[in-house]
Amino acid sequence: MNIITCYKLVPEEQDLIVNDDYSVSWDKAEWKIGTYDLNGVEAGVQLIESVGGKLTALSIGDNILENDKLKKAILSRGPEELVTVVDNELKDLDGHNTAKLLAAAVKKIGLFDLILCGEGSSDIYSQQVGLQLGELLDVITINAVSKITPQGDKIIVERSLDNVVEVLEITPPAVLSVTTDINVPRIPTLKEILAAGKKPVTKFSLSDIDEENVPVVEYIKTAAPEQADRKNIILEGATEENINKLYDYIRQELA
Amino acid sequence: MSLLEKVLIVAENSDVVGELCTAGRACGDKVELVLIDNEAGVQEAIALGADKIYCLNTSDQDRMVEDFLPTIANLLKQEKPNAIILSASTRGKLLAARLAAKLATTVLNDSLSLEVVEGNLISKKRIYGGAALRDEKATGEVSVVTVSAGTFNALDSDNQRKGESVSVDFIEPSYRAKRLEVKTKVGEQVNLTVAKQVVCIGRGLAAQEDISMINELAALMEAEVGCTRPIAEGEQWMTKDRYVGVSGVMLKPDLYLGAGISGQIQHMVGVDQAKVIVAINKDSRAQIFQYADYGIVDDIYTVVPALIKKFKE
Repeated sequence: MNIITCYKLVPEEQDLIVNDDYSVSWDKAEWKIGTYDLNGVEAGVQLIESVGGKLTALSIGDNILENDKLKKAILSRGPEELVTVVDNELKDLDGHNTAKLLAAAVKKIGLFDLILCGEGSSDIYSQQVGLQLGELLDVITINAVSKITPQGDKIIVERSLDNVVEVLEITPPAVLSVTTDINVPRIPTLKEILAAGKKPVTKFSLSDIDEENVPVVEYIKTAAPEQADRKNIILEGATEENINKLYDYIRQELA
Repeated sequence: MSLLEKVLIVAENSDVVGELCTAGRACGDKVELVLIDNEAGVQEAIALGADKIYCLNTSDQDRMVEDFLPTIANLLKQEKPNAIILSASTRGKLLAARLAAKLATTVLNDSLSLEVVEGNLISKKRIYGGAALRDEKATGEVSVVTVSAGTFNALDSDNQRKGESVSVDFIEPSYRAKRLEVKTKVGEQVNLTVAKQVVCIGRGLAAQEDISMINELAALMEAEVGCTRPIAEGEQWMTKDRYVGVSGVMLKPDLYLGAGISGQIQHMVGVDQAKVIVAINKDSRAQIFQYADYGIVDDIYTVVPALIKKFKE
């Protein structure tokens, strides 16, 4: 089975700086692989382990993709090869352009059976890139996939909706966005991290994939929300007096 | 505020008709509804704010909501709305993304508010795990939007409203998934979004069996029990429908009590709309105290049993 797994590099959540005027910045942020994308990678690794084939990781973005540690971070998790589309213009891409450029890169990679994506990026979490990618490639596209079982030339997937699980039979090729509970992503061993440095990386430019970024969304304003006013009555220590006070506060809200 | 000329709302079932009509009326002069549910009443949808209803034929049980994509895409070509609004549900987001791909635009997902400024639709979205809000605007001819459940409330039915309805022929998709089975999820289901009181636990809880202590306090407070992401997904001590936060459940209770929760923004965003926030944490520097109305600095293993004792008195 030929599987492509897509991921996005995102800033470490803890590193967000909120300024006094509520503006935000990632200037001092560390970067990492999107938390939910790791489930897509792990799902791909498990499929290859069970039926054989090749797993290729794919990402697009700016120069941060060239970071050695981050390249090893993805390759140490199991993909055999990494394909990137790098251009310094590819920053804060909107969902449609991300999908469009990924689709162009997928066509460069060639035939695939499955493309696996996470349920959303862990920074913007708009949950649309994988789905637009599937539509642009004109293949079966399913989100919220919580189980993938190959069965001959078909694939049985479970899709987790609010109260029910749909069991679907699909004929590849397909693009699947997986849930966070489909698996527990493994943590790479030191040996895997060292071996990752020797795996092949193919880097495309925008002209290589013959596409460009034409923004279709304008971001008008980004700001931290103002916090609601809270009473901030904090008691120090579980003394009998404090427990009584806390109980009274709770009781009064329950009444 | 000016309005868009025509907004098309797409309802995957009858439950969301009311809130989608309200969202549509917030930004459109004319609100037209694509209804993917035979059970839903056309008259009721008109009373809730729809001017015209396109009824899709759902009588064939094998047809999934997703299979109506070509039918809806064709309708868009004919009707040329200025905006399309769907629910920010699993099905809604899939439909929205696939329609947007056809329209070469980006979906404005999880909209918290909609505003028309100089003929452009502006949508507000939470980003960075809820640490920031972003106003975004699609620059193309048509905006595709999904609205989070509970953001827009259904208007009171107005039985005097007039509207029309038409049937739309089904266009067979060129490929589709085959639905083999629909299974009910195992285990109990809860809906924390409607709970009046919620007690949440976080990493401060040392062992799974200690949830019984939390359950006891919650029962005395007539509260539901929720948790942070690590408890649901890392430890898997609780089901995903109890996980509170930006990618989980967004609460609106009268009272929230956080026990052993540090107060990371990703969780607190789901709690922000609580009328009163109470926090128990042994670390006085825990972020949750900044959000709290009432807090106590001590171990939950001391405070929770003491509170249980008080409630039982």
